[in-house]
Amino acid sequence: MKFYEKIKKIDRRIIYLLVFLSILIPFLPGTEFLRFPVSSTKETEYIFNYIESLEKGDAVHIDWAFDPSVKAELVPFFKAFFRHCMKKELKVFIYYATLMGIGLGKDAVAEITAEDEFAHLREGVDYIHMEWIPISSDIMIFSMSTDYKGTFKKEGVIFDGVETINDIGFILGLSGSGWHFTWVDMQIRFGYTLGLAVTAVMGPDYIPFIQTGQLTGLSFGLRGAAEYEMMVSEKYDPDGPGYYDTATRGMASLTLSHLVVFGFVLIGNIVYFIEKKNRRS
Amino acid sequence: MKKEIPIFMGLVAGVIWYTEFFIAGLFYENLKLFFANGLRIGGVVGVMISIYSVSRQMYMKIKYNNERYYSFLRISMILLMLFLGAKRGMSPGTPFMSMFMNVYVPFQATVFSLLAFYIASAAYRSFKAKSLESAVLLVASVIVMMGKIPLGEAIWDKIPLFGEWILDAPSSAGRRAIIFGGYLGSITMFIRIFFGLERAHLSE
Repeated sequence: MKFYEKIKKIDRRIIYLLVFLSILIPFLPGTEFLRFPVSSTKETEYIFNYIESLEKGDAVHIDWAFDPSVKAELVPFFKAFFRHCMKKELKVFIYYATLMGIGLGKDAVAEITAEDEFAHLREGVDYIHMEWIPISSDIMIFSMSTDYKGTFKKEGVIFDGVETINDIGFILGLSGSGWHFTWVDMQIRFGYTLGLAVTAVMGPDYIPFIQTGQLTGLSFGLRGAAEYEMMVSEKYDPDGPGYYDTATRGMASLTLSHLVVFGFVLIGNIVYFIEKKNRRS
Repeated sequence: MKKEIPIFMGLVAGVIWYTEFFIAGLFYENLKLFFANGLRIGGVVGVMISIYSVSRQMYMKIKYNNERYYSFLRISMILLMLFLGAKRGMSPGTPFMSMFMNVYVPFQATVFSLLAFYIASAAYRSFKAKSLESAVLLVASVIVMMGKIPLGEAIWDKIPLFGEWILDAPSSAGRRAIIFGGYLGSITMFIRIFFGLERAHLSE
């Protein structure tokens, strides 16, 4: 068997092993040289800049519509965004559109509030988990002009001055699906400010709505989260360790695994053309 | 009556939801609350039915020795999580949350992560420049992917710009066309259901 034929019939377990190593190696100590600086894209900057423009005490609604399957891509963004809101002293309402997200969200918030800097934050004052109700919140929230608090039947200082969806300064949707297309559609009608953080594979689906103005910002997967971590760090802790977290660390894995895929695509094409040439001759 | 009542309900619901978009008022606000509460109740009933359905299915499998041990494990885990949630609640630090974060979350994240391995293998075997169209697709995808990783920018700072242009212009135009097509189809379907012309949802 010729060499290129051997390459063509390469065992898929070798591919799996190389992908596995490309993801694992950047997390090992001493591999910091694999981490390249991340620059921000305009879509993520829109979200950051809009949050920057909000005043202390303004309300932010987070629609958490994902479960643990896309945790690696979206939880880092949530953490960076939540830290940003807390630095700006905004009121954060977290609604869970999926049951499986509740534990994930509460754990992420608990992780942040365990840090010394954010230990003073209190649920019901600075942020609130609005749990899950067995219906998509879009119908409930938008069903009554004074329904925001009534929908969730929640008490707390945080609800002072927040009665309708019009009192929310910014809505952030987190999802790994087409869940937020409904929110995008209704933006035209209610005029709220909506930003989304979605998985990288879903990102291109929402780009047309940035262009129409229905979306104020868009973050693509882990890359978007790394950009947000970078922007928050540069703004609020430029000389210190910053607020870099799992997304920044994960970017090296992302880079290396992409290179492995590129490598295999390149090899696959070379083998294909050699084979084609041999067939002709 | 089996056909007439659903068609009539479709007509009434269509009139209500369509006119609601244009007419604001307390009547419609209350009506929407009625529907929203109804859906909420329906959701709760749905959860109860699904618990009953899963339990019944598992009972049958255990009884007739059809993958008995998996079924037993599944029903045990459901009952265990119910017990843990009812006994100590679901806040961080409780046994329920510990099980959720340390068992369920890694399981689900792992299953989804396996996609990366399959994609790498599939890309190697099928992502080839067999024609001009596939060559264009291949080049565009490589540029977009290179634009999304920091290394691409380190190689040449214009790569992310090209990647963004591909997403903003050709890709976005194509998606917009698909979205328009989808919505036109939805409107057509709405009109057909509204006038009782479409009966597929009535099992016809």
